[in-house]
Amino acid sequence: MITLLEIAERTQTGEKIEDMKWDKLFYETISRLVKKYDIAHPSEHRFINTDDDMVGRAYEAAIEFLETMGIYCLTTKRRVALTREEILTAIREAPTEILMGTDRDRRVWKQRKIEGREQLNVCPGHHTPFSEDLAGLVVSNFAQIPRTDFIEGFNFTHIDGREIVGAPMEVYASRRQINWMREGVRKAGRPGLAVVYYPINTRAEDLIGIMDPDYGLRRTDGILLSLLPDLKMEQDMLSAAIVYEEYGSFKLSGSFAIIGGFCGGVEGAIIEGIAKPIAAMIAYRDYINYTGVEHVHMLNGRQILVPHVNWARSIVNQALNRFTHTICMRWVIPTSGPGTDLCLWEGAMQSIEAPINGMNLYAPRHCRTTINHGQTPLEAEWMIEVSDAVIEQGFDRQAGNELLGRIAALFENKKPAEGYDIGECYDLVHHQPKDTYREIYSRVKAELREMGLVKLVV
Amino acid sequence: MEIEQMTKEERSLLDSLKEAIVALDEELATAVAEKVVTTGIDPKLAIRYAVANAAIVVGERFDEGEYYLPQLVISGDVMDVVTKILEKNIPKTEMETKKIIVIGTVQADVHSIGKNLVATMLKSVGFNVVDLGVDVPSATFIDKAKDLNADMIALSSLLTTTMPYQREVIDDLVSMGLRDRFKVMIGGGPVTKAYADKIGADGFGRDAIEGVEVAKRLLMVQ
Repeated sequence: MITLLEIAERTQTGEKIEDMKWDKLFYETISRLVKKYDIAHPSEHRFINTDDDMVGRAYEAAIEFLETMGIYCLTTKRRVALTREEILTAIREAPTEILMGTDRDRRVWKQRKIEGREQLNVCPGHHTPFSEDLAGLVVSNFAQIPRTDFIEGFNFTHIDGREIVGAPMEVYASRRQINWMREGVRKAGRPGLAVVYYPINTRAEDLIGIMDPDYGLRRTDGILLSLLPDLKMEQDMLSAAIVYEEYGSFKLSGSFAIIGGFCGGVEGAIIEGIAKPIAAMIAYRDYINYTGVEHVHMLNGRQILVPHVNWARSIVNQALNRFTHTICMRWVIPTSGPGTDLCLWEGAMQSIEAPINGMNLYAPRHCRTTINHGQTPLEAEWMIEVSDAVIEQGFDRQAGNELLGRIAALFENKKPAEGYDIGECYDLVHHQPKDTYREIYSRVKAELREMGLVKLVV
Repeated sequence: MEIEQMTKEERSLLDSLKEAIVALDEELATAVAEKVVTTGIDPKLAIRYAVANAAIVVGERFDEGEYYLPQLVISGDVMDVVTKILEKNIPKTEMETKKIIVIGTVQADVHSIGKNLVATMLKSVGFNVVDLGVDVPSATFIDKAKDLNADMIALSSLLTTTMPYQREVIDDLVSMGLRDRFKVMIGGGPVTKAYADKIGADGFGRDAIEGVEVAKRLLMVQ
C-alpha cells in the first residue's frame, strides 16, 4: 500500500489548486460519473437496494472518481493524486479485521457480510458532549453494556472549571478525556476495553499528546481521524496517522457523504460515500469507517426521513462490503432526542438496516446534540436488541424493505422531537432508564414486534 | 413602474428570466437579460422581480431537498451574470448597494460544509458575501470587515473547543470600539441560541435556511 510518507510528500508537491476550484471540479466530476454509470433511484421506492448490478456500477464510478480527483490537502492546497493501481492495491491489502483492547477485554472488530448472520460489533456511545461532572459516570454506564467492543470519547467545553480555549488547554483536556475513559472502563470492571480518542480539536498536538500507555491512549486503543467532506485531508491528521501507525493504535474515520454538499443529490452521494472510506484508508490508514449517506436536512434535524437516503446508504455499504475490505459501521443518528418514542423508532430503523447492509453499530446520538443532550445507554442497548433480532430472524433485503416501510409510515407528518437531557430520562447511578422512558421503550418494543420483528424479546 | 403596470409581454419576459435562473441555464438567462434591457424594461424592476423571485424559488428547492449546494453555487453565478447585465443600465446614482457579509469558519476549525451552505444561500438571496474560508483568526475577520465596510460578520464553528473563537471576535470588536459597526451572526453544529445570547451575538442560525432569515432580519432586507 502507498506509504504515509509518500502521501505526506504529495501534500507538499502535488498540483496547487484553490478550494473553490476543487469544489467545482468535485461536483462536475461526480455529475459526469453519475450519468456515465447510470446511477439512479429505481421507480419503486426502496429503503434497501436489491439491485446488485447497480452496486457494481456505483463501485466502478467511485474508483474512477477517486482516480480522477485524488485527495485534496486543505493545509497546503494541493492535490494528492492517486493512480488506479495505487487505489486498487490499497483496497486489496487492507485488513478485514482489527484487534482491539487487552486481556479478557480483547475484541476482534470485523467486516460484515450483506445479510450476514453473525452478531454485529458494537460501539455503544459518545461522540457527543457531556459535562465534566458526569464524565466518569457516563463512561462507566456505557462500558457496562456487555456487548461493548470499544467505547469512544466525547467533547466538552470546560476542564477543571475553566473554559477550554487554545492549544495548551486542548492538550490538557484531551489527556483528561482519555483519563476519564480509562477510569470509566476500569470502574465498569473492564479495564482492558479499547477506548477511542474523540478529537476535541484536530491540531496535531491534541491528537498526539494523548499517547501514553500508562494513563492515556494505549497501543490497543484507537483514535478517530476523519477525512473531511469532499475528499479533503489535513496535515495535522496525517502527522497523527504517521505517529499512530508506528505506535500501533487503530484508526477510524467518519466517512459518510452528505447529501446537500458538493456531491449534490443522492446519486452523487453514493459515489462520494464509496470513495471516501477508501481515501481515508489511503490518507490516514483508517480501516474502520462509519459509512453511508446522510442528508443535510436530517443532520440539522429538519426532517426525520428524506426520500431515497436509506436506499443510497444501502448501496454504499453493499459496494464497500462486496468489493473492498472496508469495515463499515452504521452511525445511528436520530433526529429526535433521547427519552422519546421517535428516537427509539429512528434507532430501530437504522438498526434494521445495519445487519442487512453489512454494517456494525456505532454510537447512537441525537443529530443536534448539545451538552448532556445526546444519548443515554438505552438507545445503544436498543440498537443491539433490534439488530440481534433481525439477524436471528434471518431478514433479507426484501423483508427488510417491507418492515422499514411500515416503520417509516409512522413518521409521516411528524417533526423530530427535542428529547431530554441524560439526567432527565436516565438514572446513571443505577444504570437504568427512568420510569417514563422505560414505559416508552416497552411500548415501542411491543409495537415493533407486532409489526413483524417477532424475535425481539419482550 | 411597478410590475402591475407592465404589459403581458414584459411580464412574460421577466418570468422567462426567472425560470432560466431557476433552471441554472446561464446561456438562456444571459440572452433573456439582454432582451430585457433592449425591450426597455426598468432593470431595477427586473432585478427586484425576476432575480429576487428566482432566489426565493432556488431557496425553496433547497429546502425541499431538490437542489443542493452545487445548484446553489451555480444559481448564484447565473444571478451574478444577469445582475451585471441589468446593472449596466442603471444610473450609478440609482444603484442599490448590496449589504456585505464577511463569513468564515473560526480559528482552529477546518469544517466548511455548513459555512459553505450559509454563504451560498446568502449570496443567492442578494447579499454580497465574502467567504474567508476556514481556520480564520479574529483579526482577519475584523480587518476584512473594516476594509469592505461590511454590514455583518458571520462566524461558523463545528467544535465545542472553537466556539470560544466566535466570542473572541465579538470581544475584539468591543475592545476596538467597533461592536456597533457590524452585526454578528453565529452558527454551527454545537452552537445554540443560548450561547449566542451569552456571548453577545446579534443573531443565531440553527441551519443555513434559518441563517438567511436571521441575516435578512438583522440587516433589514426584504
